[in-house]
Amino acid sequence: MRLRHFLLVGLLTLGCGGLVAQQAPTVKPAARSAAAQAAKPSLEISPPREMDSVRFGILGDTGTGDRRQYEVGAQMTKAMQIFPFEFVIMLGDNIYGSERPQDFVRKFEKPYGGILSQKIPFYASLGNHDDPTQRYYKPFNMNGERFYTFKKGDARFFALDSNYMDQPQLKWIEEQLSRANDRWKIAFFHHPLYSSGERHGSEVDLRTRLEPLFVKYGVDIVFAGHEHFYERVVPQKGIYYFTQGGSAKLREGNIRVNSALTAKGYDTDNVFMVAELGKDSMQFQVVSRTGRRVDSGSLPLMPEPKQAEDKSRSQ
Amino acid sequence: MVRTAVALLFSVLCISLPAGRLVAAAGPIPQQAPVNARAQAMVDFKKRVDGYLELRRAVTQKYPEVKETGNPAKIHEREVNLGKGIAMARANAKAGDIFAPVSRQLLTIVENDWNSRSPADQKAMLSELPKGLILKINQPYPPNLPLATAPSKLLAQLPMLPEELEYRLLNRRLLLRDRDANLIVDVVVGTEPNRTE
Repeated sequence: MRLRHFLLVGLLTLGCGGLVAQQAPTVKPAARSAAAQAAKPSLEISPPREMDSVRFGILGDTGTGDRRQYEVGAQMTKAMQIFPFEFVIMLGDNIYGSERPQDFVRKFEKPYGGILSQKIPFYASLGNHDDPTQRYYKPFNMNGERFYTFKKGDARFFALDSNYMDQPQLKWIEEQLSRANDRWKIAFFHHPLYSSGERHGSEVDLRTRLEPLFVKYGVDIVFAGHEHFYERVVPQKGIYYFTQGGSAKLREGNIRVNSALTAKGYDTDNVFMVAELGKDSMQFQVVSRTGRRVDSGSLPLMPEPKQAEDKSRSQ
Repeated sequence: MVRTAVALLFSVLCISLPAGRLVAAAGPIPQQAPVNARAQAMVDFKKRVDGYLELRRAVTQKYPEVKETGNPAKIHEREVNLGKGIAMARANAKAGDIFAPVSRQLLTIVENDWNSRSPADQKAMLSELPKGLILKINQPYPPNLPLATAPSKLLAQLPMLPEELEYRLLNRRLLLRDRDANLIVDVVVGTEPNRTE
């Protein structure tokens, strides 16, 4: 049984890799014929496009410990064979409910065991369900801090604590952003600044504080969770926004219909996301729990804001 | 310690400035300027926060800060022990022990902030509130419940706290929580009519 499963996964992986090599990663139409559906491989994912790109996975609102989380984890583990990401960022609500030692095993270590076993690091941010002491948990790589930054290739990542956006954190963000000369600046945290969610919606309060800094210092992409679905937002003030809080929990049908914010929304199953930061663009793919690619595309690197350009010239 | 002092001094100045302007506008400056009541309240509040930190420091001697570890049991154990240790050290703690000097000011800030929000924003805030939360001073914040998010606009108006402490807003209740001990240190409850949760 196990051998048969292994062979099946191997065949599908090969088949999928062959298919996607010729496929432009553009947003796919949702509707397909039944025959085409039946012929589809169980995991629709393309390999990376560039040699030296920064490749990473994105998970949000994960820590339930239930079947859906495990199924998404299994798909993401499979995806690693085709799209070998180097690390994973977590968008908060890493552990729901109790945070006893066994919960870290059931709600994190086991569902992502296949990824962790390949020594792929995770970088977590804190959600409203997370005890801030998670920052001491080594596998979350937070260096004991609620907010922190790290660099990968040409990209700098900023993990923020959106539950408690106090003055010291805002000061820290501004300092860090003003210093960053990296090609890509990526921020990730729990609460979405823009969202079409009926339950929560945009975090206007937080947006008032963060957006001016993001615009001023040229943040390129923002990932958030909190809303239990996937949404790619129409770029706002030159910044790409993704909400990806559906990696374990799901708030089905929660994206407001006809929202002007939505470039693409998916709220009918759980998903994971992978992305690749190249020289001039970011490729991304969003894959459902059942292995269906529900969104993908290529986003060009936005020009640096004038102030940041001037700053880098003067250095 | 220095950071705490600077932060609180900054808060004192911020809160006392408008009052200072009021005094100046009201008439001629007296020879002996009266003590600004709000500034004095902030000084008292700072003293109480410092007192808590001193007590906390004594307890952390026994349960030092945990280093990054792959063993969550160590983190959990330290949090529980620190919480119990602090609770024992301030066994007679009661509501208002820290907040009392500034409770009126805090509640005014909370209420003004609430009233400045749109109905949609208010609704969103209420939907975030953890259900079934019973708050008791010197008891852990229920570990199964989410932490109520502290609105950043509100945080900008409240006196700054040292890293060890944080505010959490639960409808009309403003909570002071020890971040690493998961302990409810103090709470101040508004007198405005109940908001529908």
